[in-house]
Amino acid sequence: MRLAEALRAIGQLAGERKMSVHLLCGCMPLHLGTFIHAHLALRFADTYIDLRTGLFGDLEGNLQRAYQNGGDGAIVVIEWSDLDPRLGFRASAGWRNETLDDIVAQVHDKSRSLDARLLELSKKMPVAVAAPSIELPPMSYLPPSQAGHFELRLNAILAGFLERMAGHDGIRLVSGATLAMASPPNTRHDVRMDLHAGFPYTLPHADALAEASVQCLFPSPPKKGIITDLDQTLWNGILGDVGVDGVSWSLEGKSQAHALYQQVLASLADSGILVAVASKNDPDLVNAALQRPDILLPPSQIFPIEVSWGVKSEAVGRVFETWNIGADSVVFVDDSPMELAEVAEKYPGIECLRFPPDDPAAVVALLWQLRARFGKNEVLEEDRLRLNSIRASAAPRQENAAGTAADFLSRIEAKVTLEAAGADPRAFELVNKTNQFNLNGARYTEVEWKALSRRPGAFLATISYEDRFGPLGRIAVLGGYKENDLCYVDVWVMSCRAFSRQIEFQSVRQLFEKTGAFEIRFRFKPTDRNGPLRSFFARFFPTGSSVEGELHLRSDDFERLCPPLFHQVHDQWTISEKN
Amino acid sequence: MDNIREKLSRCFALAFPKLDPSQYATASAQNMSEWDSIAQLTLLTLIGEEFGREIDFEEFEGATSFEALERALQVQ
Repeated sequence: MRLAEALRAIGQLAGERKMSVHLLCGCMPLHLGTFIHAHLALRFADTYIDLRTGLFGDLEGNLQRAYQNGGDGAIVVIEWSDLDPRLGFRASAGWRNETLDDIVAQVHDKSRSLDARLLELSKKMPVAVAAPSIELPPMSYLPPSQAGHFELRLNAILAGFLERMAGHDGIRLVSGATLAMASPPNTRHDVRMDLHAGFPYTLPHADALAEASVQCLFPSPPKKGIITDLDQTLWNGILGDVGVDGVSWSLEGKSQAHALYQQVLASLADSGILVAVASKNDPDLVNAALQRPDILLPPSQIFPIEVSWGVKSEAVGRVFETWNIGADSVVFVDDSPMELAEVAEKYPGIECLRFPPDDPAAVVALLWQLRARFGKNEVLEEDRLRLNSIRASAAPRQENAAGTAADFLSRIEAKVTLEAAGADPRAFELVNKTNQFNLNGARYTEVEWKALSRRPGAFLATISYEDRFGPLGRIAVLGGYKENDLCYVDVWVMSCRAFSRQIEFQSVRQLFEKTGAFEIRFRFKPTDRNGPLRSFFARFFPTGSSVEGELHLRSDDFERLCPPLFHQVHDQWTISEKN
Repeated sequence: MDNIREKLSRCFALAFPKLDPSQYATASAQNMSEWDSIAQLTLLTLIGEEFGREIDFEEFEGATSFEALERALQVQ
């Protein structure tokens, strides 16, 4: 991004929602602030962002002031000169050999005091920390080709500091490796600008550092599923031509790039990403190939496996139906540009990526791209359950076809468990990634999310579900506040995996019972994606569920229109009396 | 010359988004409170991008009006 583009992006900032983000550094924020502001504007299109900066040369003081002032997040950019000014290019305190030990001691002490400040700040808001990205000055007596004790000790102190930071909730570290890919180290330092104005970064580096920091502080919601082709993608070779033993993914077969791809897919599946196959192939041959003992992505991690000779987009469509998620949450990987184009045309929201079978370097770049699309901060229990629950959902659909829905639901031993959400990261994750059954499409920062629970009369519950086909885990979040006999709901989402089990009805019934309210007021907003939520509301509000506003549902009306429910309810949810 | 003025105006539009374009010609650090040292650096960096030149900040240090900047760019 050029500076002019960044300023244009900032100029377009608008929105009712407001966020304040701190940029905390010891240098002049100057263009780094502009680029961070611009990347925040691109990340939060509907939000007015107030970017706050601190005082020149006072990183620690800036951290302290940000803690006192509060905010929605902080980006902390550290340079060596913040750890000891003698490590910068603007100081003239001497690079004599006898000062080196003292500099190391100073860096050690400074890193310890930054520890405490960062930890304190992270209790109030999420913090992204960028480690020094400008090289050390030429102060050691050793030739630059040789790594010396002084430099190694400084790097060891820095590594220890960063490792301690990485262990804290609420602190995320900007990846130095990823930053180096976007901004090579020897292109980062603008010496002239550093000496002239105290701003050490070249424009391209300021942009890369800003982009990485914003992505680290406010990661984009990860995609949910990946659909892969087989021939020349998951493995090398055309299965129909070379047979089950002829396809390969190994060094010996000169097809290691496919092994790398399989390993990444297996790792993604481990973290709850859905993996499916869409391939024009012979189903029996595919089944046999996937059973090979050397496969690195076992068939147990793939569902569904859509193999036929039909059009590729139809196979992809069947995967969407099974997963019940939108195309814009999915990546499709195929070696054929024609297949990619055909799928992209049918499903404009899907991200289509080409697997380049003859270019291992491009395959590795693709793998990094996949990590970027699917990366998440933590792997939860629900991530482990997801694939099995989708597999299990296919069974009820088939069984259900024989009888009425009510009859079927009465026989599946469904259990619904309500619990206070507290600081449950799953609740935060669900609210920020659910589109279809979502009351109003609102997304929250961590600070906004915590603030919801501090409102007078506030409640926030997670809802878990299981039946004889298996557990779905925590699949819904319900939140709001109670005021006299009224209950206001402004957070309500449910995973698409939990549809058609009447959990939404049971949730409302439990909310009435729990709060004793005679009326629930839903803060509803239609979005492009929340059709399933609107369908639910249409039962109670036949004419009013298409425009933004408050929908009022009385308990007697609810019970009159509610279908028979068969869930066994485990209520572990206590609404705090102090609220 | 018109080309320089047009490009310089584009830089002003970004550096001083609240300034009415009719006032660019008479704009200077003396009559604009928002034209401080940070704005000067931003403006010079935008000029560097717009004109595809590496700007020597010291050389442009005294160029703190539209007119002075236009003159300095004509000389270079």
